[in-house]
Amino acid sequence: MSESASTAQALEVGKARYPEEKASLRSLLSPLLFMAPAIVLVVVFFFIPVVIVLVISLTDMSTATGFNNWKWVQFDNYLRIATHPNTLPVLRNTLMYVALTLALFNVGMALVIALLTTHIPRRSGFLFRALWLLPRLTPSVVYIMMWKYVAADAPYGILNQHLLGPLGIPPTNWLPAQPWIFVILTNGFIGASFGMVIFTSAIESIPRDYMVAALVDGCSLWQRIRYLILPLLRWPLLFVTTYQTLSLLTSFEQILLLTEGQFGTEVWSLWAYQRALSNYWGNFQWGFGAALAAVLVLIGVVMALVYMRYFQFNQLVQEPKIEAL
Amino acid sequence: MRIGRWRWVGIALMVLSLTVAACAAPTPAAPATGVGEAPAAPPEGPAEVELTVWVQGNEVEHWRLDGPILAAEQVTDYKLKVTGIRDDAGWADYKKKFTLAAEAGEAPDIVLSGHEDVPVWANAGYIVEFTECKARYPEFDDVIESLWDSTMWQGKIWAVPQDTEARPMFFNKTKLQELGWSEEEIAALPDRIRTGDFTLDDLIATAKEAVEKGVVEPGYGYWHRPRKGGDFLQYYFSYGGRLYDPEQDKLVVVRDALEKWYAFQRRVVEEGITPANFIGTEWSIWHDTVSHGKALFWNGGIWQWADWAANYVKDLGGQEYLFSFVGYALQPSGVKGQPGGTLSHPLVYMITSEKASGKKNQDAACALLAKTTTPEINTLHAVGSTHLGILKSQANFPEYANDRLLSETLYMLDYNYYQPNHVMYGPYFDIVWDFMVKAENGEMSPSDAARGAVELLQTELGDVVIVE
Repeated sequence: MSESASTAQALEVGKARYPEEKASLRSLLSPLLFMAPAIVLVVVFFFIPVVIVLVISLTDMSTATGFNNWKWVQFDNYLRIATHPNTLPVLRNTLMYVALTLALFNVGMALVIALLTTHIPRRSGFLFRALWLLPRLTPSVVYIMMWKYVAADAPYGILNQHLLGPLGIPPTNWLPAQPWIFVILTNGFIGASFGMVIFTSAIESIPRDYMVAALVDGCSLWQRIRYLILPLLRWPLLFVTTYQTLSLLTSFEQILLLTEGQFGTEVWSLWAYQRALSNYWGNFQWGFGAALAAVLVLIGVVMALVYMRYFQFNQLVQEPKIEAL
Repeated sequence: MRIGRWRWVGIALMVLSLTVAACAAPTPAAPATGVGEAPAAPPEGPAEVELTVWVQGNEVEHWRLDGPILAAEQVTDYKLKVTGIRDDAGWADYKKKFTLAAEAGEAPDIVLSGHEDVPVWANAGYIVEFTECKARYPEFDDVIESLWDSTMWQGKIWAVPQDTEARPMFFNKTKLQELGWSEEEIAALPDRIRTGDFTLDDLIATAKEAVEKGVVEPGYGYWHRPRKGGDFLQYYFSYGGRLYDPEQDKLVVVRDALEKWYAFQRRVVEEGITPANFIGTEWSIWHDTVSHGKALFWNGGIWQWADWAANYVKDLGGQEYLFSFVGYALQPSGVKGQPGGTLSHPLVYMITSEKASGKKNQDAACALLAKTTTPEINTLHAVGSTHLGILKSQANFPEYANDRLLSETLYMLDYNYYQPNHVMYGPYFDIVWDFMVKAENGEMSPSDAARGAVELLQTELGDVVIVE
């Protein structure tokens, strides 16, 4: 075959293939375009900041060095964390804070409120849920100030004056006396409303046929909850547990306002914040703070993977079998 | 159909580009007109220079900002327009705001902060050296010489003092009378503290007696500051502690003094003269209690006097009411025969660099600070906010000299000390503070807390700190 003939043949083949490739390109482009906003958001607001934090964590950058006089210190900041006397106590505090707030309020209390308010008259349920939204609606500073006045020493505190005083319990400033109770209550009262809304909506979207069938079969309330509602809430439970775990791991706003990390309430994210951005006499340790934040990112990613495996995430996101038939 | 799809693609790209454009970094502020081109010489024309000033202060400290604004009228070298922000937030937030602004090139032309920020901000290049500015205007010759020490770093001057103060041990004269003290004994107390005849042990014993005899409620014998602050270091000094070695330019921790300081903080709780779990008490509760005479001893600062008079006891007569029962002395020593002392924390005006502010207004800022550093303007702040003056001439300046509190506490500057100008002092202070809280609350024994603090100081700061 001559060279020109083979070229012509190749062109013919190319023409024949062209619409096919174009179609496959188009089929690739469409989902990409749909995902573009999410991809941009993740890259700009998560991926790039994480890379920047990782880079800063390998430096001695601080207010004193500015952005110009810093040095690479390799893994010195991570070694400091590994040998720091505060590392274990702060880690223990963080796990306790996340586990207790999550179990007692963000998932536990949220589930209880959702179940209770969906089993009482609709209007009353709505009212109770609206009340539980109040802590989330109140500005943090005002909300925490209210708690401080609840806990304040006599003659100011509401606890001392009206609740514990009449019982003969000697007054004190309850916040430093029992700091963890207040840390978990303040966070939990805010956090519970998130799960409450998700669980309520999930419970209310369970087809009525299932409920009716359960009633016809003679299920008690507890049996309906245990064998019908909770299995159907598996996906929202995964979502709320995962989301709230990661949220609590990185949240320190209420603790900062309440105790500033004093009285043994320092958690990892607050430690990172105080080192990187809030030193009383200045000189913020950006490098060390970034290393602390990087460790937190790692913990968060590991915990998210564990949750997804534990709740069998892949199965949950499969297409519903009923629609596949 | 195909056209429709590409139209969607176009719309998506347009939205994306608009989003990216909206997220883009803001354009740096345009340089101010006037001195930018020739900073060494004032401009010939009447071009107006806009200067911005950031200060930290509450309402009674408004002259920190209003002083420079008023002084602008006195400046003849430049035609100035001064604007600024008086920030009532905490120090940490204020410093964070400035630091981030400076890194973004959007800092103000002049910033007021504590003298301990000099080494940190000078090292980072946020502020410019003040030596040349000081030599340019005679107004600066009036500043009390020792105050320039607080603005020094690496042998150079970086700022000009704006105010200073004493942190007295306040005492309730009425309660002491109820305890059986004569008027002469009460009047002699400041001098006994000054000479080391009345120590911290005596303070504890007196307060304990007052509690036992019912003169004050249990836990109201001695109230220290309720929140984090340098005031607590005064008891470290009282037991012979020191913070800094200027020869080696290193921070110092004296193990013995640290333990005694922590033991003092715990003792006041165990003896029942300070409430348990006291740290963390709301400031408003603290001010209300001490200004209404419910505590026997309390340590505070003279600047709080103006706050009490204006915001807590105004209806009872303000300053007159306070003078009727409040006495003030140095902080007692922990060692018999050693003089009492007080911590001063001068606030200083600093001129920001071109890198930090994005402007070349340093000379105009210098001219403005010269006219701000006058007895007329500084006395407005000193008297209005009960801070000590910074100028030699203020001792004879009528408005200042006639102020009873300021004139009666002026001697305390002879017994004062400062915190060090060292870049790592912030992390150092955080550590000694954290362990002090653990000791006072009984989470750790004073000796364990001191051991923990020293260990952490060595871990965190390495050879920057000397352990004695």
